[in-house]
Amino acid sequence: MIVRLIGWMRRHYHLVKVTFGCLLGLLVVGDLLVPRHHVYFLGDEIPGFWALFGLLACVLIIVVSKWLGHAWLFRPENYYETRGGL
Amino acid sequence: MGDSFFIHPALFFFLGLPAVPLSRGIWRQCLLILVPLLALTMVSTLSPGLYGQFEIHGLTLTFGRVDKLALVFANVFTLMALIGAVYGLHMEDPWQQVAAMGYVGSALGCVFAGDYLTLFLFWEGLMVFSAALIFLRRTDRAIAAGYRYVLVHVFGGLMLLGGILLQYHQSGSIAFTGIDPASAGTAQYLILAGFLLNAAVPPLHAWLPDAYGSATVVGSVFMCAYTTKTAVYALIRSFAGFEILIVLGVVMALYGVVYAVLENDARRLLSYHIISQVGYMVAGVGIGTELALNGACAHAYAHILYKGLLFMGVGGVLQVTGRSRFSELGGLWKYMPWTFVFTLVGGLSISAFPLFSGFVSKSMVISGAWESHLQWAALGLTLASAGTFLHTGLKVPYFIWFWRDEPPFDPPRREAPLNMLIAMGLAAYYCILIGINPEGLYRLLPFEVPYHPYTAAHVMASLQILLFTMLGFFLLIKKLYPEPKVGLDLDWFYRRGAVLFLAFCRKVLRMVDEQVIKNLHKTVVLPLLRTLAALSAWTDQRVVDGFVDGSAESVLRFSERMRFFMQPGILSRYVARTLTVLAAIILLALYIR
Repeated sequence: MIVRLIGWMRRHYHLVKVTFGCLLGLLVVGDLLVPRHHVYFLGDEIPGFWALFGLLACVLIIVVSKWLGHAWLFRPENYYETRGGL
Repeated sequence: MGDSFFIHPALFFFLGLPAVPLSRGIWRQCLLILVPLLALTMVSTLSPGLYGQFEIHGLTLTFGRVDKLALVFANVFTLMALIGAVYGLHMEDPWQQVAAMGYVGSALGCVFAGDYLTLFLFWEGLMVFSAALIFLRRTDRAIAAGYRYVLVHVFGGLMLLGGILLQYHQSGSIAFTGIDPASAGTAQYLILAGFLLNAAVPPLHAWLPDAYGSATVVGSVFMCAYTTKTAVYALIRSFAGFEILIVLGVVMALYGVVYAVLENDARRLLSYHIISQVGYMVAGVGIGTELALNGACAHAYAHILYKGLLFMGVGGVLQVTGRSRFSELGGLWKYMPWTFVFTLVGGLSISAFPLFSGFVSKSMVISGAWESHLQWAALGLTLASAGTFLHTGLKVPYFIWFWRDEPPFDPPRREAPLNMLIAMGLAAYYCILIGINPEGLYRLLPFEVPYHPYTAAHVMASLQILLFTMLGFFLLIKKLYPEPKVGLDLDWFYRRGAVLFLAFCRKVLRMVDEQVIKNLHKTVVLPLLRTLAALSAWTDQRVVDGFVDGSAESVLRFSERMRFFMQPGILSRYVARTLTVLAAIILLALYIR
């Protein structure tokens, strides 16, 4: 059952993408209608703020981490073994 | 003393432990299920109070301090023990089950300990039994990782013991209770350092991915639950309101996320996310308000279940395919769909998706930060939660199950074993149950603070963050393709650093020894020693010998004179002396009569 569902989604990749895009749009539009009781932070008042935050957070995390990795941290997987350690 | 019936829940595990290798087949399986089941029942019947107190040399050791804080941890510890036992039911090797039982028992011992000495006793038990779970994988890599794990934790244990002894010396108290941040000194900070090492707070964290990526499949499922969460419990108990913990917690939450991007091994990725998630709990302890402390407890509770579930899912893949590196996996969706679904539930829970357990617990900590006006902390933790979804919710399932159309190896012919799937199902059930009915969990928490996670604004904000993170993931997917690399971490200092230190000894120190010290010896030390020896020989011959010889000569002369007096060799003198003596004896005899 699960396999068939996943298979169907993989075959209709385009449809899944469009649905996902619509969902994202709905979230931002819906944010205009949501009542706000506890406002702790400026961002809580701006509709769609957290959407932008999520996207930027994701990009920031990937770019910064990968940059750190390639500039400094990455070593081959057998790094410790080939240098006399374990 | 408490007034209700009390059997220490750890006792079930320690009593059941020796019976495991002695039993076989179905009997052993019954025993493995029965022990955590009994402990779970016992925990749920306990009522607050002090039990099991012993007096030793004027010190009161408390083995059973029962209160709400202890009970919420004991509850999830025993529940996870049951799930873990089901997960490991298929194993022929009894020793992993023995180690797991001792491990859970030790964790429960820590939770109910009422003083630092009892805590320390079980704290070391945790280390011993969890190290066994690494060694039992029996590969060279695992054994080396096990030794590193033991050394690091011995160091942490010594800091803790040092702090305890120092505090006892200063105040005469070993009570395991809250410490006032204003009065904390060296002793308290040593204890804190010991706790922070077990909680894997950077820079004392590198043991965690090293160990959990190397342990046995079942071992890492147990390990991910107990060591760090016992430390979180200890922090809540003693160090609530220490502001440095807020900074450390936020740093941890982000640190784990960065390393998870770089990680190619699924179990090591999940390990870095433990560091990240424990960061929320540590920050909650640092904030120290009732809401934040409740959040730390709730998040520990939820975390144990969903992280266990994730390790079970990835462990199932490792069990069936023998692989845990993303670069060697992919395309498993057709072959292991159930493992996928359960792992996804774990991923959605850790990412705090609405209706899953993380949503109702993580947000308590973040709300605690907002309410205490710690905006930077709240934003940092929210940023880390986007990273959590990115990796555990998206990267793990995507690169194990969907990345390739077909696996790059002979596809497995079966799912994970049935008992593993049942255990995953159980954990997934609790993840969803907590998510849709958070009141059940909130009732267990130590403080009575009303909290409602399901407000429209909160659900909306969470969904936006998560789904737009997902958008970012698919936009940047090419950047995330797994690379067969490891990221340097602080374990470099004792892995590579130790090798370099040895090389330094072999090359530099030896050279110094051969060139400098050897010559110094020849030109300075030896001649000096020779002169000294000659001097003392002279003294010996002239002074000492002279004295000894002189006294020998006078003894000789004296005895010669005595001999001339006693034995002159003249017969008449001998006869005269003999007669005199005889006469004296006779006279004496007559007189006595």
